[in-house]
Amino acid sequence: MNHTGTGPVVSFENVSKHYGSLKAVDGLSLDLRPRETVALLGPNGAGKSTSLDMLLALRKPTSGTIRMFGSDPYHAIKSGQVGAMLQSGGLMPEVTVRELVSLVARLHPRPIAVDTTMRRAGIADFADQRVDKLSGGQTQRVRFALAIAGDCDLIVLDEPTTAMDVETRRLFWANMKEEVAEGKTLLFATHYLEEADQVADRILVINKGRLLADGTPEEIKKRAGAKRMSFRLDQANEPFLLGLPALVSLEIRHDLVQIQTSDSDATLYAVLDAGYRPHEIEVSSLGLEQAFLAITAEDDAADGPSAREAIGR
Amino acid sequence: MSGFSGTLALTKAEIIRLRRNKRYLIFTIALPVVLYLALGRQKAIEEGVSFKVYYLFEMASLGAFSGAFNNNTIRISQERKDGWIRQLRLTCLPANGYVIAKIIASVVVTAPQIAIMMLLGRFYGGVDLPIWKWTVIAVAIWLGTLIFAALAVAIGYWMNPNSVQPIIMLIFLFFSIFGGLWFPISGVLGKFAEATPTFRIVQIGTDVVTNGTVSWAGVGVILVWLALFVGLATLAVRTAAEAI
Repeated sequence: MNHTGTGPVVSFENVSKHYGSLKAVDGLSLDLRPRETVALLGPNGAGKSTSLDMLLALRKPTSGTIRMFGSDPYHAIKSGQVGAMLQSGGLMPEVTVRELVSLVARLHPRPIAVDTTMRRAGIADFADQRVDKLSGGQTQRVRFALAIAGDCDLIVLDEPTTAMDVETRRLFWANMKEEVAEGKTLLFATHYLEEADQVADRILVINKGRLLADGTPEEIKKRAGAKRMSFRLDQANEPFLLGLPALVSLEIRHDLVQIQTSDSDATLYAVLDAGYRPHEIEVSSLGLEQAFLAITAEDDAADGPSAREAIGR
Repeated sequence: MSGFSGTLALTKAEIIRLRRNKRYLIFTIALPVVLYLALGRQKAIEEGVSFKVYYLFEMASLGAFSGAFNNNTIRISQERKDGWIRQLRLTCLPANGYVIAKIIASVVVTAPQIAIMMLLGRFYGGVDLPIWKWTVIAVAIWLGTLIFAALAVAIGYWMNPNSVQPIIMLIFLFFSIFGGLWFPISGVLGKFAEATPTFRIVQIGTDVVTNGTVSWAGVGVILVWLALFVGLATLAVRTAAEAI
């Protein structure tokens, strides 16, 4: 029962969640399209968890509308269209891993064979262990198994690889690709930026409950001001270099010139056109991390003066 | 009907857990059995029935109620804190499935416990009653289990695991002492005791044994407490919904 319609899988329409004067989520609007893998990125307290909670019908928005598969989230969840894994989700103690996965599969209208689920989640090795005797990483994988124990159309994961070591994390995403290959839509929150970069087709950057950027990892990096370029140049002339087109920042150490630019081509051509012959030229993209920091810092700075104004009043 | 089968699946899992829980088995089955074996053969008369009969009802009720109440309250409170209830809300289990499974599981697990006590009363204590009298007594104790399971839901949803322990001790002592589960209550306190469900449940037992009647006032008191605690439980579950 995969979602074949062309309408959005999830839509937030001007959704806000206020706790007293605190705006945890502030006018969030977005659509998830079928078969997308979307990362939700934001610093702590950005509103990621609150947004996911509202999406999963655990909390009610103060205002705005959330739709899932064209109906309200509660209905979509109770009809088994969503598999979700929350950081705050606990497990039932005193039963074995296999018993727990079987139970959750039985709660689902379209259960998946328990052995398949356990293999995909990488928990078959400790299937007969008691749930309350597992390590943090194992617990996390069991949580994931519960999210995929039924045949759903949308998977929602809140920081799924927390407490996993590097190898487990790699395995986790490899298994996840199996799920996505079946045509599922995936939404995950993470604070591992390289994860978002490698796994997601689309990244949503949120800060202070607002959507700051929405695009492919490439677009997000570009938006933050782009490329880093370095080269060696013997008689580096600082005034000339400062006048280069598209320049964002400049650093000179002896003959080594490091430049951040919003258009690396234009910057480099200008250097060559002026008759210089730099060597050891390297151009690289800004990492997603720098891009992310740049975008959220921009937002924080933009908020600064108005926040001060508010206090002055 | 997937909703009901889901609740049933969870109920089965809850029963498996209870059967594995040593603490639960000791307090609900072993302790009343041991106490009855130790004291059940005294020849005194209480509330118009022989001590061995009275003590049988006391011990059967005590085990059933403490199992349904103490154990459930702590677990519900802990499972709410751990996020298991939250996790269940993300499944297709109906919204009330968790609470219903808890209550059914306690009532089901109590059945063999009541049966064991009655067999003990019959063959060790020599309490000889017709089947229908045993049945009425079992049903009365079972109803009591339901009352305490409902109260467990209310308190488990309202209180945190670390503060819940002394509260359930106090509440359970109150109901068990004033209900005459530890020793018979009479005089002014007896009047007060008549308002408690625990007293009324034991009273149904003694009435049935002595004159084969059931006090409808007693049934009324029991049903009022049941309605009250089910109401409280519903309220607790609703108000906790945003916080879970």
